[in-house]
Amino acid sequence: MITGTCIGGSGEDKMISRRNFFSIVTLMAVLFFLCMGTNNLKDWWNDYTVNTYTETAENYPSRIHLYIPGNDTSEEAAQDGTDHDGGGNLYASRDMVVLIGDGEGIYGRAVREWVMYSRRKMTEYATLSAYAGAKEDAGWPEMLIIDSKCVDWGEPGETDFLAACVEQGTHLVFSSLPDVSVIEDNDRVRNLLGIRKVKARETAAAGLHLYEGFLLGGESIYLPEEGEKEAGKEGEIVFPGETNGAGAPVFPWYLLSSGTKVYMKGIPGDPTVDTEDYPALIWRKSFGTAYVFAVNGGYMEGIEAIGLLSAMSAEMYSYEIYPVINAQNMVLAGYPGLADENREGMERFYGWSLNDVFQEVLWPNISTVLNRYEYKATCMLTPQFDYTDAAFPDPEQLAYFLKIFREASAEVGLSGLCVSDTPVGQKLEEDGRFVMDAVGGYEFASFYAGNLSGDEIETALQSDVLSSVVTVVRNYGEGDTQIIQLLSEHVTGQMAFDIGFEYNYKGDFLVKCLETALGYLNVSFDMERVAYPDGKEDAWENISPHFGTTVAAIGETFREFDRTTVSECDMRIHQFFAMDYRDNRKGDRIRIQISEGAGSGWFILRTHNETIGELEGGSWRRLEKDAYLIEAQGGEVIITMEPADARFYK
Amino acid sequence: MSMKMLTILQIAGILALYLGVSVALPGIVLHRIFRGTRLSARLMAYFMCGNFYMINLVFLLQLLHISYGPTLILGTLVPLGAAAVCRFRENFSVSIERGTRRLRLILEGETGIRTQLYRSGKRLSSGLLGERMSSRWPDVILTLGVLALVCYLYGTNVINVYGYCASDIVVHHYWINEMGNNNLFAAGIYPFGFHNVIYYLHAVAGIPTYVLLRVFCLVQTIMIHMMLLFFLRAVCQSRYAPYAGTFLYLAGGFFSSGTYARYGSSLPQEFGMLFLFPSAYFAISFFQERNPDCRTEEKGKKRFFRFGRNLTMFAISVSMTLAVHFYDAIVAAVFCAGIAVGFCFRCFRWRYLRRIMLAGMAGVLLAVLPMAAAYMMGTPLQGSLYWGMSVMSTEEGEDEETEEAGQTAESMSEDLLEKAGSSLEHRLQATVDKIKIYVAGNNAETGWFLLGSTGAVLLLGIVWYIGRRTEYGGILVSVGTFLVLMILMQSYADWGIPQLIEISRCSIYVAYGFALAWGLSLDGIVFLLFRERKAIHLGSLAALAGVCAAVAVTGMKTPLKLGAQETNDAIICMSNILRENQDGETWTICSANDERQMMRDYGNHYELIDFLRGMEELESDTVLTVPTKTVYFFVEKVPIFAEEKDLGRRISREGAGRALPDGREISSIYAEDARWVVMSRMYFWAQAFRRLYPNEMEVYYESEDFVCYRVRQNEYSLYNFAIDYGYNGTG
Repeated sequence: MITGTCIGGSGEDKMISRRNFFSIVTLMAVLFFLCMGTNNLKDWWNDYTVNTYTETAENYPSRIHLYIPGNDTSEEAAQDGTDHDGGGNLYASRDMVVLIGDGEGIYGRAVREWVMYSRRKMTEYATLSAYAGAKEDAGWPEMLIIDSKCVDWGEPGETDFLAACVEQGTHLVFSSLPDVSVIEDNDRVRNLLGIRKVKARETAAAGLHLYEGFLLGGESIYLPEEGEKEAGKEGEIVFPGETNGAGAPVFPWYLLSSGTKVYMKGIPGDPTVDTEDYPALIWRKSFGTAYVFAVNGGYMEGIEAIGLLSAMSAEMYSYEIYPVINAQNMVLAGYPGLADENREGMERFYGWSLNDVFQEVLWPNISTVLNRYEYKATCMLTPQFDYTDAAFPDPEQLAYFLKIFREASAEVGLSGLCVSDTPVGQKLEEDGRFVMDAVGGYEFASFYAGNLSGDEIETALQSDVLSSVVTVVRNYGEGDTQIIQLLSEHVTGQMAFDIGFEYNYKGDFLVKCLETALGYLNVSFDMERVAYPDGKEDAWENISPHFGTTVAAIGETFREFDRTTVSECDMRIHQFFAMDYRDNRKGDRIRIQISEGAGSGWFILRTHNETIGELEGGSWRRLEKDAYLIEAQGGEVIITMEPADARFYK
Repeated sequence: MSMKMLTILQIAGILALYLGVSVALPGIVLHRIFRGTRLSARLMAYFMCGNFYMINLVFLLQLLHISYGPTLILGTLVPLGAAAVCRFRENFSVSIERGTRRLRLILEGETGIRTQLYRSGKRLSSGLLGERMSSRWPDVILTLGVLALVCYLYGTNVINVYGYCASDIVVHHYWINEMGNNNLFAAGIYPFGFHNVIYYLHAVAGIPTYVLLRVFCLVQTIMIHMMLLFFLRAVCQSRYAPYAGTFLYLAGGFFSSGTYARYGSSLPQEFGMLFLFPSAYFAISFFQERNPDCRTEEKGKKRFFRFGRNLTMFAISVSMTLAVHFYDAIVAAVFCAGIAVGFCFRCFRWRYLRRIMLAGMAGVLLAVLPMAAAYMMGTPLQGSLYWGMSVMSTEEGEDEETEEAGQTAESMSEDLLEKAGSSLEHRLQATVDKIKIYVAGNNAETGWFLLGSTGAVLLLGIVWYIGRRTEYGGILVSVGTFLVLMILMQSYADWGIPQLIEISRCSIYVAYGFALAWGLSLDGIVFLLFRERKAIHLGSLAALAGVCAAVAVTGMKTPLKLGAQETNDAIICMSNILRENQDGETWTICSANDERQMMRDYGNHYELIDFLRGMEELESDTVLTVPTKTVYFFVEKVPIFAEEKDLGRRISREGAGRALPDGREISSIYAEDARWVVMSRMYFWAQAFRRLYPNEMEVYYESEDFVCYRVRQNEYSLYNFAIDYGYNGTG
């Protein structure tokens, strides 16, 4: 029975009570609020004009203790057994590395970088004889890193000196091998390098096989499939240690003697060759007192050397602990563009405007892929690609992207690149003006410099729009060795690797080297290709699979490293540079003492058949078998090790 | 977990599995057939049928080359299925309804779960454990006591010594392993009953064969004593005399160690002893039948070949003894001869004789059939059969361990015979000497006691013949005659009879037979003294108490203690390695022991001698690789198989400096000094290799006397193990 006053309708059965009417209206209001209100509230609370990543600068270490090789003030203290210097800071007494070769060449500079990263000391000599002559009463170094061209292999005294080094416990690292004729003719050299026989003076490999347990990231087989060869993509296949278009790697074919351990081999084209007889590329020969590492090919003639040296160092000892950055960045260079430009090209390849493509096609795609592997995007926006045309950036687009990036925890930086020949200073001036007009100003914490020169970067950093920048991202170029650097007291430089759309064998090897040495990766994706495609192959539909492949390959392999934006990474770089440490082991306990002022920091611990049982003063994650990432949260970390597998039955 | 605990769990699991297959399953299938027979006889029958089916199922599937876990399980379930079909064919729905009545009551809410559980518990306590069991509790307690004693005396060694305690087990292990490839009679035709059972348990339950061979000896020893107890329980008139006989045999400390030492190893001959007394029991039971063919006559279908239940079981038992070990078959035949004497008043009647002969022949045929089939398919005889035949034809072939004792006895006998010709008195003296040396622990008094108990059982048998209890007297005389014949076989040379069983092995059966004599003698005396059933039981209880007191006074047998062919550490390592390598990764054990067969189904093995020889002549191009992910090296720091003067000798540089032994025979490469050299070399090789690969070679397990190294390598780039360790080619 219906009670109460009825509204409308002629009959009792068609009426609705006031109570019901009130309930329906309330329900509709609630639904309306849920649908519309939350979005509006989100917009209202989205303080998108504030860059949250500039706040990280406040957490920087209070004092910068940049570790400088050879400037170790604690040497005397370490010698007399004390742990502290006059200032109360702890410094590690690192072992000496001697570089025999051209210290200014790419290989020499890479070694110097590694020495700095691993907190060692280094001296350089142009030739082995120069070092042998200068050594005199000095102690034996931890390792000699030798460019074989700087050794007179015809001089028996030099071979004897190397043998004496090994006898005294100095590890030898041959970044390149002597000529194959020298190896063929000189059994002392063969014995030193662990070569049993020269099977062929030269062989072209079909692929490479990197074994697990050496570089982080596990096993890799760089072997093009038949389909790739048939599709005429051979030119696109770039092997580690080779340059683009070099084709199959060529090297002498050595068979190794006993006491050796191989880390990488070539895969011959002839399928009848036994796996055992595959040509060795990176190996070590053990003499009981020290190791001799040999690299057959140009794998150390580049930035990859730092990863290889870290991996070799981990092989030399029962455990190895070294500081790392622990940062994984994905940089979208030139994304988003805010001007409706290149209409003709966009119409031809997409049928949409540039703004529509960036907003409706790219971002959903990019954010899905990055979210899947928990990466944070660093979007280096460029208001315009072309400053000479009549298309101007859309302020609403800027506001829109700032909002969605804020929601997605992406960082917004500013790109210094454009397709027109506009000077970088002028471009940044216009960008600053636009940003001011559009959103009332924005504090950019990062700047994408791409391939800009040092002077251009200096000019750029003086512009008003970049006054709050704390880090500059540059693209890696052949010959570069400084992966991270301090451009000024407060601005860091980071190297980005433009392998996002071309993740080839060489790129994979490079990534593994970087992760091994620094736990650092900065992959840039050149989005200008999407805005100004040269051809069909640059269209997003064709390069998006590469994007997915790259992110998936790296994301799957290196799950445990932290995903950061470049500004977050900047803070870690500061910490990395500020930190010094020393470690020792007694029984199953490893103690790491970290210098004051560094705050927290990250280390990679590499072991052999041991695992972490307990850790005091921080936390840890397992990267892979016998490799752990340690976060130190105080001045001292104590790690209790235990066997990787204990016997169940006793 | 300690290895001891693991071993205990393994024993418990294997015992449960074996009893489940050999007793419980046949019990389910055959309980209607054996309804009404004595429990001990029923258990023997189930046990015979279970083993018979198990062995012949394996034979059948092996000969068809379809012997695998699933087919064996299927074959095991077939009789169960058949029994179920027969049982429920006509009233399946009624049976289901009856079977699920309580469940339905719960589902329909008529009774609660707790009520049903209470009722079930009450039914169990008042029925199975109450009224039905009330008369059996003394038996249960005493049987458990016997079990506990067997476990104590023979299980201690199994729990403390993990390696094989007999050198020939590894050969049997190889044959069993080959059965995994459906390669029956791998080394030639041999009685494979024991191998079939071990293989069956391995294939059906997935228990590693080495574990079975390690611990099955205790299971079979338990069953050997159970069969003795069941036999006595089935033929004795009193309740406790069987326990007295069994206890005296089990715990009496007067036997030579040779009579029970082999119980510490899983060997076919001892397994075959399980079927000796059951075969005798079913023969006796047959002769106890007043009218063996009455049933057929009643139905008017008198058949020449018709076997009753006892004859069928006799045929099965005979076939089992022959299928497991020829010695067991010989002893079973001797027992049958004794029964023929004891039951001469029936045996030579045609209706008995023809049946027992046919049953015996059927049993032989059943056992020989698989072997004959294999022989016809071209498989030759196994070498040890020729050895067995040579033992029968010559006097050589004694085990080394008993050689010395044998020589003493021989010399004593020969002296006596030389002095006094070959008079009966001196032959008897020589026989007593043999019993004294081989059975009675070199104690003359014990020897006379043993012979006296044989005389006693014979005498009591004759007394009961005279007392017109001919069947009971027949049993006593059968056992007595059997013992006399076995004693004669023990001293075959003195009586000019051919040797059928190697003399030290014969003593095992003789000692086992004496248990019957004691049990039946006590039973006969008690039965003679008392006529009332209660009085008989009380008398036998007094006899049991007396026996216990006598054993306590004269000294109890000490737990068996045997040396193994392998160190405990090696077995512990093996167990760990098998446990850790279940992920499909490849691995190899490089050792000088029995691991080759132990781990054959799971990993690879490399002989230490081959390993060392591979780098003896070290050239620049010498390559020695082991193509598996992980390689384990077993090194004994105190080598086993040392000469007595070298016991406890540790590996040393002196040993490593000696020449590597030549040859392929185990005795020349892995025994005494040769083993010391091999282990010394191996140890210093490991030290040298570890210097080169400190992070890659680790100590996997180490004790005072043993060390196991583990090397993990890249299967695509194997380590060259051929290194200069300082002793290559020395000596």
